[in-house]
Amino acid sequence: MASKRQDLVELSDWQLVEKCQAGDADAFQVLVSRYHQKVFMVILGLMRNRDDALEVAQETFFRAYRKIKSFQGGSSFYTWLYRIAVNNAIDAQRKQKRNPLDFHETMDGLFEARNEVARDPFADVHDRELRESMMKAINELTPEHKAVIVLRTIEGMSYKDIGEVLGCSEGTVMSRLHYARKKLQDKLSAFL
Amino acid sequence: MSQCETIQESIGRWLDGELQTADSEAVRRHVEGCPDCAAARQRLEKIHATLSGLLTAQASELEFAPFWREVRRRIDEKRSWHEQLIEWAQSLVTSPRLAWAVPAAIMLVLGFFSLAKWPVGGQVSNYASVESIDTHGRNVALLRDDKTKTTIIWLYQDPEGENENVEEATKSGPAF
Repeated sequence: MASKRQDLVELSDWQLVEKCQAGDADAFQVLVSRYHQKVFMVILGLMRNRDDALEVAQETFFRAYRKIKSFQGGSSFYTWLYRIAVNNAIDAQRKQKRNPLDFHETMDGLFEARNEVARDPFADVHDRELRESMMKAINELTPEHKAVIVLRTIEGMSYKDIGEVLGCSEGTVMSRLHYARKKLQDKLSAFL
Repeated sequence: MSQCETIQESIGRWLDGELQTADSEAVRRHVEGCPDCAAARQRLEKIHATLSGLLTAQASELEFAPFWREVRRRIDEKRSWHEQLIEWAQSLVTSPRLAWAVPAAIMLVLGFFSLAKWPVGGQVSNYASVESIDTHGRNVALLRDDKTKTTIIWLYQDPEGENENVEEATKSGPAF
């Protein structure tokens, strides 16, 4: 069993996808272990709340599992997976907007998890304020603008790949990214 | 637009590695020698680092085992027998190897019914009928010719809104 798992870990994404398509659930587990943190990060960047992001990330992998037989390899696996993740997150966020959470409640949850060793107290306060302002500024962007900046920041994706994930052209990605960065710079000017 | 403004418009694409080599080199040279543009670069890098650090810190605390348990639970729970049946049927239809079978099956069914209505070697017959569509004199006439295997559907309006001539039309057939 351990040997089989070791063998699976060494396979490429596409080889694992082929095994999943043949019904190998262990291969899917390896794909989840490879991408769960990155998918979670992308979704967290798009959503307000950690618990909601976790729920959407798990649902993303569940949907990917159900759809994996239809994946033909026309794009890379992670591009396909991120497309499912972004669509799920945007859907969930639109539902949230109809039932908004208290901003401070969600931000407290986000920052409590950071267990940093105290350095300069002023620097800590500055960093904390910067992070809070960053999340606030990100949340004020539209889902489409949020998506480009999060995909670029976390995954370092090319404009072409981001376009594939979001179903838009490279030019659209470029202009959205430019706009999102400009907005963030304006909102965070006091810290930059 | 000044040179600095032009460069600052391109700094994001330059940092993303999305500029052509020559343009990238031009931006790099300018940024190295211009304090304002160097500051613009630093601002962008700080935004990137802050956001990345914020999300990475959260994700690094995400444990795989409970995450996978929940995904696995959904996979096991939500796949009831009828869902599995539907998925199996969908995979059959969408499978590229079997995709040709769908139009082929439709053609076979149509061919079967066509032969049933047009018996090979059977008695050759023509068929015509006229039906009224509504009460305003609009009619549909159907004419089928066995010899040429032609079907003509003719829509027309009786100017009087009456159907007295239907029987006559049936006998003589529509005038083309």
